[in-house]
Amino acid sequence: MMLRDLKEKYAIVGVGYTPQGKVPSRTALSFHLEACANAITDAGLKKEDIDGIICYRRFSPKLGEPEVTPYLLAQMLGITPVYLTQEANCARTHLFHAMAALEMGLCNYMLISYADNAVSGGRLFIEEDTHGEPPGDLLLYGQMGFTADYAMAAWRAMATFKTGPETWKEIAVAQRKWAALNPRAALGKKPLTYKDYYSSPMVTEPFRLCDACLISDGGRAVVVTSVERARDLKHPVVAIMGLGMAHPSYDVHQSPYLAGPTGAKEAGKQALDMAGISLEDIDACQIYDCFTYTVEITLQDYGFFGPGEGGDWMREVGIGPGGKMPVNTSGGLLAEAYFMGLTPLAEGVMQLMGRCQDRQLGPKTGTKEPEIILVSDNGGVFQSHCCTILRRL
Amino acid sequence: MGDVLVPQPTGDTREFWEGCREKKLRFQQCEACGHVRWPPSNLCPVCHSFETKWIESSGKGKIHTFTVYHMAFHPAWKDRVPYVTAVVELEEGPRLLTNIVGTPPEELSCDMPVEVVWKEAGEYFVPRFRVVG
Ligand SMILES: [Zn+2]
Repeated sequence: MMLRDLKEKYAIVGVGYTPQGKVPSRTALSFHLEACANAITDAGLKKEDIDGIICYRRFSPKLGEPEVTPYLLAQMLGITPVYLTQEANCARTHLFHAMAALEMGLCNYMLISYADNAVSGGRLFIEEDTHGEPPGDLLLYGQMGFTADYAMAAWRAMATFKTGPETWKEIAVAQRKWAALNPRAALGKKPLTYKDYYSSPMVTEPFRLCDACLISDGGRAVVVTSVERARDLKHPVVAIMGLGMAHPSYDVHQSPYLAGPTGAKEAGKQALDMAGISLEDIDACQIYDCFTYTVEITLQDYGFFGPGEGGDWMREVGIGPGGKMPVNTSGGLLAEAYFMGLTPLAEGVMQLMGRCQDRQLGPKTGTKEPEIILVSDNGGVFQSHCCTILRRL
Repeated sequence: MGDVLVPQPTGDTREFWEGCREKKLRFQQCEACGHVRWPPSNLCPVCHSFETKWIESSGKGKIHTFTVYHMAFHPAWKDRVPYVTAVVELEEGPRLLTNIVGTPPEELSCDMPVEVVWKEAGEYFVPRFRVVG
């Protein structure tokens, strides 16, 4: 069995949304349940059909709430799954696990869920940012949170190839344009000009506030099944065409590849190889964008442009509405909502299903009607990467 | 919470901080293959030998990367912004998360040579770095 044998054998058939952004007085569990129930309905399935659940579980609960274990999720959904697992590695690896369990014949419909009440619970993603040094030692130096760690990677990149705010502003501004077309996007009503970008306050230099992703209340879920079963369901079939993963694993504080290549290079190669296509066949990208720079280095490591050519490439090709390579069409983690890898993955699926209304790729946004969309997901601080290629059959 | 800015050694970092009591910056070196590692552990990641000795670093290195905090994410650092955290690559090889002190942040750049300076913290001294030359 090779990855290639699984090309277009499995599909994502339903997406579940919830209210998102700042949604007070809601538990993380309530967002999980709403996202899951909506994903099942969206797929045209009943809860009795779901026989596998993958539930993200790593963050400590906030506001004195119970921890959302996968068992609790299954119980409260009224489902007794054959396959049940908790995953700390986010959506980037969930598709691998889902396909493996489906391929083994353990189950037929896998539900994948992420939810959090991060805004209401005051989660700043500081204790969630883990390192080889004990947390107390990091505090001795005042090193706290992902924004500083990614900023360190970005600064090394600035010392290694041509990059910096000149490039990152293209990403922030383009994604905000996409967000303006998405009624769910947290920053949809706040346009961003280049001038606004430069006047955004510095957080951890070289990153400004608008280089960083959102923190969100809400949840997102998807359902995965075989393409064969997908053909009997209600939406156009969005198949998993290619998958790749690579985990360089080095902590950013010791990393020998601080300016890249990140895991995106190897994972991208694998995914393209499984799909049997090249970058020229990609119609749009949904890139995990915890920071603007993450988008640049990911596209660079996939091979869309050479080191330091990102700014020029983005200006020439166009990544916003009307562009030749649309990137993060929901507004992404920067401007829509932060649901880890499920933000880009869900958007890739919805675009290929043709359900994105005002932001729909095609004539409506002056872009190519998409058949193939590349989705990325990066974890830790460039320690783990998965690439997914989706195709509308 | 107590004084959060005092080292809290773990089973793996105890030897390192014992050295820091005497302003000695020490790292583990594998007895079998010579690899110098950080953070501390019981196993050499290169050759899987458990045989390890502690060597003293020259305390000299260069700034591999850094960031400048303009916002504080913890009350203990609220009054210290802007401050600089950095990854310093020591001559012996390890990359150490630390602070750069004594130079205005806007004058710093990657690959600048630095050397260790010590800041008292309870019974210990914490290694930080200043630009040399
Ligand atoms: Zn060794």
